[in-house]
Amino acid sequence: MLGWMHCDRVQVQIRDVGLGRSRKIVIEKQENLMKRTGFVYDERYLLHDTGIYHPESPERLKTIFKWLEDSGMLSQLTRIEATKANQRWIETVHNIHYIMRFDEACISGLNEFEHPDNGICRDSYDTAFLAVGGVLKAIDAVMKGEIDNAFCAVRPPGHHAEADKPMGFCYFNNVAIGARYLQKEYGIERVGIIDFDVHHGNGTQHIFDRDPSVFYYSIHEHPSFAYPGTGREFEAGLGEGEGYTVNSPVLPGRGDDEYKRLIMQDLVPAFKKFNPEFILLSAGFDAHESDMMSGTNLSTEGYDFISEVIMNLVNRCSGGRVVSVLEGGYNLDILPLLVENHIRFLADLK
Amino acid sequence: MFVSERMAKNLITAGPDMTIFEAKTIMAEKGFRHLPIVDSAGKLIGIVSDRDIRAAMPSTLLKKADYEITLAKIMNFPVEDIMTKDPLTIYAYYTIQDTLLVMQKKKVGALPVIDQEGYLKGLLSVRDLLRSFVSVLNIDEPGCLLCIVVNAKEKTGQMKKIVDIITEERIALGSILVARAWDNNKRAIFPYLLTNNIINVKKKLIANGFELIDPMQWYLDHQQPQKAE
Repeated sequence: MLGWMHCDRVQVQIRDVGLGRSRKIVIEKQENLMKRTGFVYDERYLLHDTGIYHPESPERLKTIFKWLEDSGMLSQLTRIEATKANQRWIETVHNIHYIMRFDEACISGLNEFEHPDNGICRDSYDTAFLAVGGVLKAIDAVMKGEIDNAFCAVRPPGHHAEADKPMGFCYFNNVAIGARYLQKEYGIERVGIIDFDVHHGNGTQHIFDRDPSVFYYSIHEHPSFAYPGTGREFEAGLGEGEGYTVNSPVLPGRGDDEYKRLIMQDLVPAFKKFNPEFILLSAGFDAHESDMMSGTNLSTEGYDFISEVIMNLVNRCSGGRVVSVLEGGYNLDILPLLVENHIRFLADLK
Repeated sequence: MFVSERMAKNLITAGPDMTIFEAKTIMAEKGFRHLPIVDSAGKLIGIVSDRDIRAAMPSTLLKKADYEITLAKIMNFPVEDIMTKDPLTIYAYYTIQDTLLVMQKKKVGALPVIDQEGYLKGLLSVRDLLRSFVSVLNIDEPGCLLCIVVNAKEKTGQMKKIVDIITEERIALGSILVARAWDNNKRAIFPYLLTNNIINVKKKLIANGFELIDPMQWYLDHQQPQKAE
């Protein structure tokens, strides 16, 4: 067939090749049509001021935006305007008293919220609503078929935020709220969350600990060395949710090979079995070898590998439906490149 | 850290005439492995461990009928017959460090705590010790571990410098461990910092001449000489 194939999804031909005992599966893309990838960004995300010298700074998003603009990538994406989330969606995850405490802390002009890590300003509360809102709008656009998938360049990040506690620069758990939104607003039954930030997403894990309808997978630096000190292999869900949480801790310095081994061993079979109808990503770029936040030593190519495996899973399980949400990533020299590379996989531009 | 803060105080105890059957049932139901035996006044006279009870049981290799006949005979003996009499004891004012050393040397799993008159006050088990270590290392709180290598021959005061830098960054310290038995000329210092915000403190330590290494690197270096043997 010549020219573009006019269909939403890339057709994949699977051919079995007998090679003695082992069988090799060759996947060939016949034609490659770029996916319609949404991009959530709002200048108001810069208003959340964490204080001087704080690594989770507005510069992170500014740098990403400028880089995507300069590289021409931005023009290939569908811009999605963020609006503030309705509080009722935030309440599906967070305790109402917690939401009020956060509001009060910001209104009264405090510069930290319940721990020195969590720098805030008067605008932080509204910005956090806007971050959640951005994710929900991206989900809407995917569910309505306007786009295939999306990347949300939002801040503050979310995966450390517990139901009633801010932690590690996070206030509202953007991805967890997204998962609940998918279930309640769109009747999605099985949501898969893949968290490749270098830190364990304690908040997300705890929120869905007992919930077999949301599968949480996280790969992160080993908790004996890295924040927040959770995410050990034996944390595998509780009660009915047992078996629906999988953690892959990576010892410091192990790098790409260990990431590849763990992802193929722990993530891929688990997600194939769970077969999520929608996949959400907690996309953190702080595992990179040049990011001083961690010691896992993941390379730029290592990140490509993660994105590639994830997109294979997304195409196989969730019919291409994935929304990727920015978490960490603090080295401004490498962050925008890693984000661009990640988006290339979402948009199928590699 | 004193034994009084960590010992179990609400104890279930038994008199010397309690049957082995009763003792076995109580221990299985409550999920503990040591039963202190006291006299009618409350003075400690012995301790029964789950191992003592197991040792008294008939062999599981016996035929079922034989097993049950033997078991029935055994079950009505008093615990007095199987308890460890005059067990090793500690006082509530002992430190956890004392207890660690005692447990390591004497290879016991739990120590009854008594007062000067011999009355039972509590029980400190290996499980209580584990709990106190989790708490003293603060590893149940969110944080991250640094590994700083310092030259042991350099003048003293390096720890102070490190702690000062951590304090200047307004970071709460969970714990600090020092590894000495590694390289004669070096010490590895492991501060556990209760923060996610470690970039600035790392930069400052480096700017002050400290060598930060990957804790795994330290571990691997540490292992090398042993492998060579």
